[in-house]
Amino acid sequence: MGAPELLQFALAGLKNGSIYALVALGFTIVYASTGVINFAQGEFVMLGGMLSVWAHSTLGLPLPLAALIGILGTAVIGVVFELLAIRPRKDGDPLALIIITVGGSLLLSNLARHVFGPSERSLPAFTAGPSLRFLGATLERQSLWIFGLTALAVVVLTVFYSRTRLGRAMRACSINRTAARLVGVDPKRLVTISFALAAALGGLAGVVTTPLTQTAFNVGSSFGIKGFAAAILGGLGNPIAAVIGGLVLGLLESMSIAFLSSTYKDAISLVVLLLVLFIRPQGLLGRGGREKV
Amino acid sequence: MSLLREHWRKLALLIVGAGVAVVPLFVTGTDARYVLKVLSFVGINALIVLGLALLFGYAGQVSMGHAAFFGLGAYASAWVTKSLGLPWLVGLAAAVLLTAAAGILLALPSLRLKGHYLAMATLAFGEIMRIAFVEAKGVTGGPDGLSGIPYASIGPLSFDTPQMNYWLVWGVLVLAIWLAANIVNGRPGRSMRALHGSELGTMASGINITGIKVRVFTLSAVFAGVAGALYASVVGFVSPSTFSLHLSVILVAMAVLGGTRSLAGPLLAAVVLTLIPYADAILPGLSREVMTVIQEWEADVYGLVIIIVILFMPGGIAGALRGVFVRGGEAK
Amino acid sequence: MSLLQVREVTRSFGGLIAVDRVSFDVHDGQIKAIIGPNGAGKSTLFNLLTCFDRPDSGSVLFEGRELFGERPDRVVRMGVARSFQNTQLFEEMTAHENVILGTHARSGSSFTPAALRLPSARKRDDLASQEADRLLRLVGLESWRGSLAADMPHGLRRLLEIARALATSPRLVLLDEPAAGLNTQETTALGEVLYRIRDHGATLVIVEHDMGLVMEVSDEIVVLDRGCKIAEGPPRLIQKDPAVIRAYLGEEDADEL
Repeated sequence: MGAPELLQFALAGLKNGSIYALVALGFTIVYASTGVINFAQGEFVMLGGMLSVWAHSTLGLPLPLAALIGILGTAVIGVVFELLAIRPRKDGDPLALIIITVGGSLLLSNLARHVFGPSERSLPAFTAGPSLRFLGATLERQSLWIFGLTALAVVVLTVFYSRTRLGRAMRACSINRTAARLVGVDPKRLVTISFALAAALGGLAGVVTTPLTQTAFNVGSSFGIKGFAAAILGGLGNPIAAVIGGLVLGLLESMSIAFLSSTYKDAISLVVLLLVLFIRPQGLLGRGGREKV
Repeated sequence: MSLLREHWRKLALLIVGAGVAVVPLFVTGTDARYVLKVLSFVGINALIVLGLALLFGYAGQVSMGHAAFFGLGAYASAWVTKSLGLPWLVGLAAAVLLTAAAGILLALPSLRLKGHYLAMATLAFGEIMRIAFVEAKGVTGGPDGLSGIPYASIGPLSFDTPQMNYWLVWGVLVLAIWLAANIVNGRPGRSMRALHGSELGTMASGINITGIKVRVFTLSAVFAGVAGALYASVVGFVSPSTFSLHLSVILVAMAVLGGTRSLAGPLLAAVVLTLIPYADAILPGLSREVMTVIQEWEADVYGLVIIIVILFMPGGIAGALRGVFVRGGEAK
Repeated sequence: MSLLQVREVTRSFGGLIAVDRVSFDVHDGQIKAIIGPNGAGKSTLFNLLTCFDRPDSGSVLFEGRELFGERPDRVVRMGVARSFQNTQLFEEMTAHENVILGTHARSGSSFTPAALRLPSARKRDDLASQEADRLLRLVGLESWRGSLAADMPHGLRRLLEIARALATSPRLVLLDEPAAGLNTQETTALGEVLYRIRDHGATLVIVEHDMGLVMEVSDEIVVLDRGCKIAEGPPRLIQKDPAVIRAYLGEEDADEL
């Protein structure tokens, strides 16, 4: 295999990996505030895509506005979900919350089927024009949007976490649940905000990927599993690790296509997920930490 | 007084058991085939949910991959009986061994860790198996599945009519309920109730918590595997689309709706939720339009049921019934 | 050979050294007490000895076998039982059932005999029930047999937890502040129970704040201060030890000595 082909696979891997990274960030953020894996995270990707398609083709709004509606609309749905389904469970029992998000996933995807219909939908690329040539490899213009917006999201998130009081409170809260109250922020509000952020990131992933991959009511769970595998691979609880986990997973997938067969592409992330869970549950970048009984 | 209650319990169980046993004698007419098949599905789902009830209600864990164990059992027995031409019991044994082995392999590493890693590991396992069912064409027949799977038979006894299938499924279910009830009321059940009370106290009693959880999970995987073997022989056809994440979630919904620390509740929930999409089997008057609406909204309802039950009636059906009885008892 | 050999055990949290190279022996048939001012590292040491926490370094040999690295429930099955400072009972179960759970350590919770209702399972349950009754009598709780643990008064709950520990058939019993929250009368009763336990062949290690009880029942005392062992010996000598008196002087408990 020559260098251009390899580059081609690497670019495809990074493109998918960026999407996984966005989803993984969502997992990480909710996990930090609740200690729970949000099984509905993948549905946010589906909703982002579906809402923007609806805004663009049904309402006829211009693409940038439709994209914004996709992201903000998903964030609103995330908040509503948290307020109606997560917050009422006051004891915060992780098993209960996990099961609630499983139910939420089922509910959201099927409601989407009723509202938007069962068929596959697509968006036009953000920038029209032929693919770019790059060192012998080709790159869709949409991929640049994916790279750029993922990077932007990471930067915004980093600034939010390190420069704002709320962000710092959220970080403190992920280390110690009572810490949030010490900095004067209501932990319940942090949970709501984390769902808003996670949903917005999922929505963003859905909006940017739809021009390339299309979307449908039932794509959520597969995005969810990939994003979750990425989050676990990086090590839950750390945004940078989630991004790296996403990119590594994307590269692993495309390299498996390059060197093995496309049959196993989807299985790769699952096998990675199981291996990491069993061998190194704290993830590649997670701190060792002793297992306290 | 408790002795008296024990007697009433046994009598009630006997009546329910006898009622279940005689159903095929009363189901006649043109729909009999369909109705009995639906009731066999109910028994098969109830068997899987029974295992999930042990796992969720007693061991405090949840599996997102039980459809995969169900599928593993179905393909194992289908392949052994159809492709190898071996007796049905051999196929059943293959289903049991394979699901037990997979269960242990998944549970050992994930239950050693604190938290709910099992839920994620089973989710990944479920998806891997779904891909494997499609790709391992030599054994599974690929996306088209396997058809012409022989009926179950034990020696000269052949389960080749809908009635016989019904009795087979429900007979196995009754046996499984007996096993599960013994476990719940015996030492393992006591250990699990202890775990619910105080994890530190359980460790200080020298009880191997991980060991118990691993065994409960493995047993629940085997129940699903046996259900799969029954399914393959009752339907005569298996295909990968049956064993989806969607099914795993619905099975969890049944266990959750049924409630914790109960077997009767989850069994009842399995019966009711399985019958909903086949409501016309027990209520022949239902129009086609009503059935369409039910099937259209079924999944939404399951999702909603999960959320509402966990939020507002965490004891599920079992908890609600207990509430009624306790209040009734106090009133006396 | 001593029953328990504690060697150079160290545990730190962050930069703080909670237990610093502590070594001592516990001999068969002894009642050994571990005392020290607040924050001396008693509870940390206790959790290390029972493997509920892991040390940074050091070793603990029980009957010549290394305990460190074992799971807590395995340590119990090896013959080292414990109680908790904050009682960890099964609140929704009766006193009798609580003690029966202790017998699970020896006879296991195996599924197959239970699932098939084999005669062996039944026989084992009968034995466990009798054993639990015997232990309830030993600690003087026979009249509370059918009460829920949650409904029992504090002092008796401690005794119930001791009975549960004994049900695991231990050779060594470690009790974490068994007299905490007990009144004088209850403490005296506890002292008697401790003697009875020793007379039944178990060796005892108690971490305790109540000096009266410690001086009365223990054969030997280990004194910790800021994580280090500062003295070890029989009660009479410990009471006169200048290092011990100095350690307790800055403490509110000094007058108790």
